[in-house]
Amino acid sequence: MSAHAPVPWDTPGPLAGPLGVPLVDLLDRVLSTGVVVSGDLVIAIADVPLVRLSLHALLSSVSERMPAPWADGGPL
Amino acid sequence: MTTQQAGTPGNATTTAETATYVYAVCRQLRAAALTGLPGLAEGFPVRALRCGALTAVVQHVPTAEFTQEAWEQRLSDRTQLERCARAHHEVVVAAAACGPTAPLALATLYRSDERARQALGEDAARFTAVLDRIEGQAEWGVKVSLPAGAPRPLDRTPPDTPQGSGKAGAGRAYLERKRGLHQAREQRHDRALQTAEDVDAALSRLATAARRLRPHGQEMTGAASRRQILNAAYLLPHDRAEELAEAVETWRTRTGAQIELSGPWVPYSFVGEV
Repeated sequence: MSAHAPVPWDTPGPLAGPLGVPLVDLLDRVLSTGVVVSGDLVIAIADVPLVRLSLHALLSSVSERMPAPWADGGPL
Repeated sequence: MTTQQAGTPGNATTTAETATYVYAVCRQLRAAALTGLPGLAEGFPVRALRCGALTAVVQHVPTAEFTQEAWEQRLSDRTQLERCARAHHEVVVAAAACGPTAPLALATLYRSDERARQALGEDAARFTAVLDRIEGQAEWGVKVSLPAGAPRPLDRTPPDTPQGSGKAGAGRAYLERKRGLHQAREQRHDRALQTAEDVDAALSRLATAARRLRPHGQEMTGAASRRQILNAAYLLPHDRAEELAEAVETWRTRTGAQIELSGPWVPYSFVGEV
């Protein structure tokens, strides 16, 4: 139905560049995946260690602190 | 294994002005791969740190700018959050160009290179297993969404034409209508779930591994008219990417759903669970 094309990331080589990555997908990965090892400095937001924080948790903790920072920015 | 309590009082080095930020772990890097990357702290080179058979991709960062409070502030600001995520990602991608690379979660920090080497070294077996697993593979993101579907009024007439008993008939018709709307909503929900399952099952069959991420709410997609029903990641050998794209196209046609494909990603979603 929708004519939405796949996310445009037609860079030539595999894993060639980060530029076309939609932020929301990037945050899905950078924030809540990756190898979790215990660092010396454990950064936590609202008591959730950042290394385990999901995008959703981050968004809700952010919006508690400063209401609707995303509202005018359109989609993430 | 147990030397990593956050609060361990160390010797004089605990007041060091720099900490060691770790982006990723890989086997080896070409010397030039990281040249010129800004990373998260300008003025400090992003570099390779040898950890036995593995190589960590690290950067010194000013400790004062990477405290809990600093992170909270950084992540509360959309622009800074984006800059931070992209900087992290940029380094990960640069390293991945040299071979299999396991990204670390954002904000993995050690007090010194020595501590990083020690802590990562203790996890060497795990990293090795992860790198073996993702070698030659890439991650692809697939998001499926359907029209949010405003409940449309039923156009069929109520089965019992309310001519018989006046008021009572009208009441029944009202209830019927309510129930009809409810059922329609339920059916739509079931169909959406089924579509998500079908697409996920089909794409999983092509993949080495599959993982579901949490679907994005409408506040994140910014599309009030669509509802995301699947947000998934698939790990595939590089040479199967085309097959995946074809399958996605097939399912687009078959379901009428909007299916977005992104990638290839460094396999972020497949390094954390070994």
